[in-house]
Amino acid sequence: MADAPVLGLLGEFGTADALLDAAKRARAEGYEKLDAFSPYPVEGMAETLAIGDQRIGWLAVIGGATGIAATLLLQDFVNRDYPLDAGGRPLIALPAFFVVDFEIMILFAVTFAIIGMLWMNRLPRLHHPLFGTPRFSLASDDRFFLYIAADDAKFDAEDTRGFLGALGAWTIEAVRA
Amino acid sequence: MASTSPPILPLDQSLHDVSVEIGRVPLRFPARVPWLIAFLFSLGLLLLFVVSVTWLLTWGVGVWGLNIPVNWAFAIHLYVWWLGLGHAGTLISAMLLLMGQDWRNSLNRFAEAMTLCAVVCAGIYPIIHLGRPWFFYWMFPYPATMGVWPQFRSPLEWDIWAVLTYLAVSLLFWYIGLIPDLATVRDRARKRGWQVFFGIFALGWRGSAHHWARWQKAYRTTAAIAVPLVVSVHSEVSLLFASGQIPGWHSTIFPPYFVLGAAFSGFAMVAMIALVVRHFFGLKEIVTDRHMDVLAKVLLASGLMTAYGYVFEVFDAFYSGDGREIATTYDRFFGLYAWSYWGAILFNFVPLQGLWFRKVRRSPVLLFMIGTSVVIGMWLERYMILVTSLYKDFLVSSFGEYHTTFWDWGTYLGTIGLFFVPFLLFIRYIPSISIFEDKEVLAREKREAGRG
Repeated sequence: MADAPVLGLLGEFGTADALLDAAKRARAEGYEKLDAFSPYPVEGMAETLAIGDQRIGWLAVIGGATGIAATLLLQDFVNRDYPLDAGGRPLIALPAFFVVDFEIMILFAVTFAIIGMLWMNRLPRLHHPLFGTPRFSLASDDRFFLYIAADDAKFDAEDTRGFLGALGAWTIEAVRA
Repeated sequence: MASTSPPILPLDQSLHDVSVEIGRVPLRFPARVPWLIAFLFSLGLLLLFVVSVTWLLTWGVGVWGLNIPVNWAFAIHLYVWWLGLGHAGTLISAMLLLMGQDWRNSLNRFAEAMTLCAVVCAGIYPIIHLGRPWFFYWMFPYPATMGVWPQFRSPLEWDIWAVLTYLAVSLLFWYIGLIPDLATVRDRARKRGWQVFFGIFALGWRGSAHHWARWQKAYRTTAAIAVPLVVSVHSEVSLLFASGQIPGWHSTIFPPYFVLGAAFSGFAMVAMIALVVRHFFGLKEIVTDRHMDVLAKVLLASGLMTAYGYVFEVFDAFYSGDGREIATTYDRFFGLYAWSYWGAILFNFVPLQGLWFRKVRRSPVLLFMIGTSVVIGMWLERYMILVTSLYKDFLVSSFGEYHTTFWDWGTYLGTIGLFFVPFLLFIRYIPSISIFEDKEVLAREKREAGRG
């Protein structure tokens, strides 16, 4: 596999602060196609890498609205389709409907947000070239990795490797397809 | 977290130690013998459940002691009790996450698993109570050849949607919180079988910053939605009671009273499980004495709020001036089932007062005993609310007694097996404490100590 094309370079760091610092300097250097890998979410990393995805919040809102609207329509329909007169009480009784409306609103909001998150993250994807990199398994333990993609405009196999070294990476590995 | 408070996790461990300490539990299980004993015992109870339900399906609900007037009896009493035990899992996990309380990170995972198992036990009760449980799917709105639809104005219909939603949301919340840890265990597993097992369920999680950003958004959104969900679910349960005119039920205090009681019993259960898990798995560095101290304080606070509900229930009855309401209150104090009222007071609130003292809060044995007492107390309370209201209502002709039968108890003890079998499998095969969230806390504490 040594001849497979290089997808990018992966630099290993010992702490979250070192990773954050390295990511900031890489951004300042002009690198655009960066990713960082860490055992837990690093505070400030999303801002540094300019990841501003507001879609999940909106998906929850859309899901909730869909859920409550669909339930209200259904409740209205079934009570008209099969009217059951219980002591002359109103057929379309919003206070009695509302418990189920609320629950299904929540069910849809959560399902939309979570399925949306997995879909946007392109998960499940059981294999990925990164897993072929020997040290990458430590990203779920106690190491922090900065990844610079080879299709970045500023990427150059030699210079970028040198740059990662200058950032203080403990090891630098090439990720191959 | 305020830097004035002492660190909740010991600072002399590294991030790697956290992976090792928690990750070893599923991979090289530390407490084989106690686990096996507990598991066999739970399997026995589960078998009792299967036998009891088979008996019930064969002969009908008459095998239970319920009858007119006490026609809800054990089935609804235990439905409320189990569901209440489950609520603390969601509250610990979701509410404390949103409030930035780091100490929840050592407890949330198994508390959520406890929620899932308890909701299953709760949800099964209304179904087997139906009389003809094999028609439970009539509660779903599907185009039936009979041309009828479920009745959305009926509390039974509220029930199924509340429980199903709660089950689905709890499961999703638990699972997405688990994905990063499944990845950690996958990367540490050395045996092929484990690698494949955890590899599949980790969904290929890589810890990418892009993934984390979206994950955090989805996790926090779900948490923010889960808190009102808990309140709504147990309020809905209380409305099953409060929307009827039965004296002792027909009161607006019911939703908050039920929600608080649920949280109270659930926190007691979480404390008990936490003590057992950390003892047998040797996780004292992760679930520390300070964790138990904070949990005990929460238990005390929710207990006092529940006590307030008791006081107000009595006040409400007399303030209403309604003769039947007052008579029901007298029945609770002095009637045939007065033991359940005074038992609830005794078990819920008397040992609880020990938690004012730091020594008691930090003593595993005493805290466990107080937790047990609260769980029993809340069991008695749910029984009391049901039976004392139903056995005597407006007309003398509808007065009657309630006596449990063997099959009432068989079904109930059986649900304990139904709770513990999946729960024990969970603590055996899945990281039962959140690895990455504890690393997050540890890293922050170390940084603060470094500045210190």
